[in-house]
Amino acid sequence: MTLAPDNFRWVVDLVRRRSAIQLEAGKEYLVESRLLPLARTAGLGDVDSYVRSIRVTAGLAVLEAVVEALTTNETSWFRDAQPFMSLADHIVPELRPAGGAGQLRIWSAACSSGQEPYSIAMVLSDLAVAGRLRILATDLNQQVLARARNGRYSQLEVNRGLPAPMLVKHFTRAGADWEVAPALRSSISFAQHNLLDAPPAGGPFDVVFLRNVLIYFDLATKRDVLRRVRQAIRPGGYLLLGAAETTIGIDDDFERVSLGRGSGYRLATRRAA
Amino acid sequence: MSAAIDLASYAGSDPIFTIAEEVFGAMIDTEPETLREWFGPAPGFGDPTYAWVDVGGESPGRVLLTTERSTATRVTRGLLGLGPDEAVEDADFVDALGEVANVLGGNVKALVPDPGALSLPRVSHAAPDGPVRDLVHELLLDWRGACLVISVWSLP
Amino acid sequence: MRALVIDDSRTMRRIIVGVLRSLGFDTLEAADGREALDVLESGVQVDLACIDWNMPVMNGLEFVLAARANREWRDVTLMMVTTESEHGQIVRALAAGAHEYLIKPFTADAIREKLQLLGLVEWEVSA
Repeated sequence: MTLAPDNFRWVVDLVRRRSAIQLEAGKEYLVESRLLPLARTAGLGDVDSYVRSIRVTAGLAVLEAVVEALTTNETSWFRDAQPFMSLADHIVPELRPAGGAGQLRIWSAACSSGQEPYSIAMVLSDLAVAGRLRILATDLNQQVLARARNGRYSQLEVNRGLPAPMLVKHFTRAGADWEVAPALRSSISFAQHNLLDAPPAGGPFDVVFLRNVLIYFDLATKRDVLRRVRQAIRPGGYLLLGAAETTIGIDDDFERVSLGRGSGYRLATRRAA
Repeated sequence: MSAAIDLASYAGSDPIFTIAEEVFGAMIDTEPETLREWFGPAPGFGDPTYAWVDVGGESPGRVLLTTERSTATRVTRGLLGLGPDEAVEDADFVDALGEVANVLGGNVKALVPDPGALSLPRVSHAAPDGPVRDLVHELLLDWRGACLVISVWSLP
Repeated sequence: MRALVIDDSRTMRRIIVGVLRSLGFDTLEAADGREALDVLESGVQVDLACIDWNMPVMNGLEFVLAARANREWRDVTLMMVTTESEHGQIVRALAAGAHEYLIKPFTADAIREKLQLLGLVEWEVSA
């Protein structure tokens, strides 16, 4: 049974409220194909029945799973591109001018299957700081973390937003897949971490990537997570969020900073009383 | 391609199955998990369709897709986005199946060291003829209950 | 924006044209590199060429070399869309002057993302 219009609208509304992502009309096929596995896991044969049932009784976890199924697959490389350009063109030259010493520490705080930390390493690989780069990549989910550590991706995955010159420079073929070259891995360590816990070892960090994960939390939890993350950022360091996200209204200790055509967040400079 | 595909190095997962999954999942059938391995012997095909490409180089080979004509028609519909009641023209059928063979063949050839050039694809209702060949690898697939066979042969 | 889709498979041209049109492109087609050069030589303004590798008469690599050799066409973005997926082949195409490389099989999302990287399609926040 195809997805009824009112159920589709309910899903569109849910996704927009929780992720700021707007599913347009015509994307019914996307909702059906992405939610079908969830429907089957719930013992239902079709998405319409599934949505009907979760509209009545669904806990936060189920709603999150639905939103994630519809907004994920954005495990593409260099997601939204701009933050990576801001990192290479503005942040790194400011924090570690060429010829300067000292490690550059970056925390990829919801690294998922690894595209983000590897993208960070790739965009910085040509800069002088490449040899002094330490990336900590964490995620709560052990399975995706294992994939990230493996650094092995399918051909379909490497087609997703990865510039071809970077593909040939940093990957080698492994059967039907592509594998991250050892030189790129050497600057990254992976660890399991829950954002609701104290920050991980390896800090304080010059840059924290906290992209597209706050959207899954309610306001109180967002504040909590940002407070902990704030403790892990070095003075003058940067926080980078997802394209539709902001700290404004959540944490006044951050201020938004323009970085070329993009923006990031820094600890607000306090005025003397 | 007799030196060919050292399956042991792929830790138990058939890279050709991975390739088939990607081709089907990306371009023919977007519903998840509709392609699996076929269990048991291949069924006889009463009205078979054959689509293949040859790979040149020092160890020439052939990548052949064999299936029932009705299944090949469904593949064509999937690739071209045709509805179940829309007519499938012969020219579209040949072109679509040829392109599937082309994409499968191109990806399979990347599994072997120093592959040669890919030939243009051929589609026929008769099995490809030519000199006797060795079967290097055979994969039986189940697509929504229909059987498709991908076979890799070395050419003399 | 206008795109030229170059592939000897009518099926593949149809698929790529469909995706490009949904992204707002006008499209033209050519079945091999020679036909594609004829299109460019006719003076039609082309912003993007999606180029298969293996084609009769003139293949995609030869087309890329010819396109890059002509200063009048230096603003045409050249993206290979091909089943050739060995590391060495990709290097060859990029060295010949291709700007991007998309391996078959591909999804519509993958095309959109490559075009976003190339600045031919806007980044947007949507699923």
